Amino acid sequence: MTSSGILSYLTFVYFLAFVFYLLMMVMGRQVPGRLATYTLLGSFATHTAAIILRWQESYAAGMGRAPFSNLYESLIFFAWTLSLLYLIVEWRTRNKSAGAFITPLIFLAMAYASFSPNISSKIMPLIPALKSNWLITHVITCFLGYAAFGLSFGFSLMYLFKGGDSGDRTASFLRLIPARGILEELNYQMVVIGFLMLTLGIITGSVWAHSAWGSYWSWDPKETWSLITWFVYAAVIHSRLVRGWKGKKIIILCIVGFACVLFTYFGVNYLAGLHSYATN
Amino acid sequence: MEETINERKANPVLKFFGSVKLAIVLLILLAVFSVAGTMIPQKEGAMEFIQGLNPATFNLLDFFGLFDLYHAGWFRLLIGLLALNLVVCSIERFPSAWRRVKARPSVDRSQPFENLPDTLVISTDSGYEEALRISQNLLKKRFRTLRSERKKDRVFFLAEKGSFSHLGVFLVHLSVLVILIGALAGSFFGFEGFVKIAEGETVDSIMPRSGNQSFSPGFEIRCDKFTVEFYDNGSPREYRSAVTFLVGGKEVEKRDILVNHPVTFNGITFYQSTYEKVAGRGLRIKLSKEGGKEDLKPIDAEIGQQIQLPGKEGFFQVLDIRHMGTAPAALVSVETGKGEPTRFWIFENFELIRSRLPEQMIKSPRFDPSAFKPYTFSLLGVQERYATGLQANQDPGVPIVWAGFILIVLGFIVTFFTSQQFVRVLVEKKNNKTVIMVTGSASRNRPALDRDLQRLVEDIRSLLAA
Repeated sequence: MTSSGILSYLTFVYFLAFVFYLLMMVMGRQVPGRLATYTLLGSFATHTAAIILRWQESYAAGMGRAPFSNLYESLIFFAWTLSLLYLIVEWRTRNKSAGAFITPLIFLAMAYASFSPNISSKIMPLIPALKSNWLITHVITCFLGYAAFGLSFGFSLMYLFKGGDSGDRTASFLRLIPARGILEELNYQMVVIGFLMLTLGIITGSVWAHSAWGSYWSWDPKETWSLITWFVYAAVIHSRLVRGWKGKKIIILCIVGFACVLFTYFGVNYLAGLHSYATN
Repeated sequence: MEETINERKANPVLKFFGSVKLAIVLLILLAVFSVAGTMIPQKEGAMEFIQGLNPATFNLLDFFGLFDLYHAGWFRLLIGLLALNLVVCSIERFPSAWRRVKARPSVDRSQPFENLPDTLVISTDSGYEEALRISQNLLKKRFRTLRSERKKDRVFFLAEKGSFSHLGVFLVHLSVLVILIGALAGSFFGFEGFVKIAEGETVDSIMPRSGNQSFSPGFEIRCDKFTVEFYDNGSPREYRSAVTFLVGGKEVEKRDILVNHPVTFNGITFYQSTYEKVAGRGLRIKLSKEGGKEDLKPIDAEIGQQIQLPGKEGFFQVLDIRHMGTAPAALVSVETGKGEPTRFWIFENFELIRSRLPEQMIKSPRFDPSAFKPYTFSLLGVQERYATGLQANQDPGVPIVWAGFILIVLGFIVTFFTSQQFVRVLVEKKNNKTVIMVTGSASRNRPALDRDLQRLVEDIRSLLAA
């Protein structure tokens, strides 16, 4: 089977993981939680293998390039970084409740890549502008950043779901979600990782643009939107220093930040610019 | 941090320009206006958009510089305010951060050791002196500074590392300023230009992107060859310009310029940017004589080459070859030695072109292939060649920006991933036993400190047992 065949099947496995996480939340039992983690781990391992396979396929087709060069491949890689980062967080925090919020994101990215009629999964050769050693570093840093912001978005949603600390709501769905204070801390950690990675992504992108287009910054829509995202998360990080700004305000700013990430990633394709090869 | 702000309460202006709130407002304003800049078409791209606007809207948008928003004065002012905010806030906060770096808390405090969990307390029969030696060695190895104080039967140790962690945020702020300075340096002392060179031609001037006065870089560039390769599916694989740099007509350096592989010569960097097909210097022409029975043989000619007419009426030469619209055209000049030369343009596929040309043009003798009787000239084909389009830039700000990039990454790592740790160890002789207690504090990442403390306890324990 080809890599894209395997990856389209994986879409369903990720959905299955989501169902298990949801069952765990609703039933409040450990068994579906364990199943969810195993499903996700298995899916992630296969996903990794499929990306390596795709790399090999490109060599076999005589193109020999990293599988990070169009919208399809970036979505697949985005889903991969999301699973990787989520699995690390689950392992470090020993709490599985975020799984119910992150696996849908992974599923959506995979489904969009595999089943959208506008996205081709064909392995295409690299156009001259993409032939650079910066391609791999740029894509990896950007997508690790996007994934961290995706997790921050998940924690922000959980924060909003959790409701106020006062009302002792005992629905098991909410009981498994950590306390708001912990969610804020986790969210902040994700924002910090994302911010560092986004900064690295913008830096590698600038250095690359300098050698490909002759200018490290040309206010191309994608560049500009990544800077907008950077501004928003810089505001998030600074707002922790303002007294009385903890809590909901920051959470909302994080959701705005993730909306900017999504626009940087997808929305920009509707605006003309230099990054047009990422559209299909 | 709080202290410093209170100390300076007297100066509300400084307080305003150094506040975190101002920083957040500026960041969000910059974000919002940048969004506007991606929605309103900018610069060259704005032409089509502008045509659809009514004059009032256009004047309003134009007044605020919204068609070149990122270079508008008020946008730069916002960036300038952010820079000012960074400077003032850093100056305001640096003294207290420096005090924390230099802080030397007193060593012999017993309060931190109250109510310690059992996991951080060791009680042993081993000797007191040995426990002291082991604790001291471990702390010395793992921390930057170690101080101790002996009080009767107990010794206090205070170890510290990572004080520089408090300075990370200043490094980040400084690096943002460095990047802005680099960008300023580029916009004041650099330029962006463009050269178009046909294969075989030499160019000695660069056209700047803004303005229309070309200038000489002090050397010449010749394009020896331009090649474009394609993949089987038709998408481009490689654009390559082989160029020679000459100074005063002398060849100095031969280089290949590719996308992602720019070439710098005498401080100016050339980037592969565009290419196009242009007419070359050679062409093939056919003459036919009015009433002539047979066609004459086609003639291969070059620009400027004098060719005798078949009936020896005089000479003709081609003065210029160019594409008019998409059609190749050549300017022919026929000279008989008497009077003015006859000049006219001839086209390839003239019948096809004629149907597209406006009436006056067809009637004009300048477009009549039979303008010199009794001959009719027809253009069978022109040689084609490539012209490469190179971006030619000079930006002295780039190394400064790169330095800023390195600093900002270092700054982030220091700010977010290091912390100042204080670890206190108390070794006490109690009756016949020796009690060792371990505790500490960290400026950030408490869990990491807890792990370090636990490891310290275990290591002391195993060394005591050995």
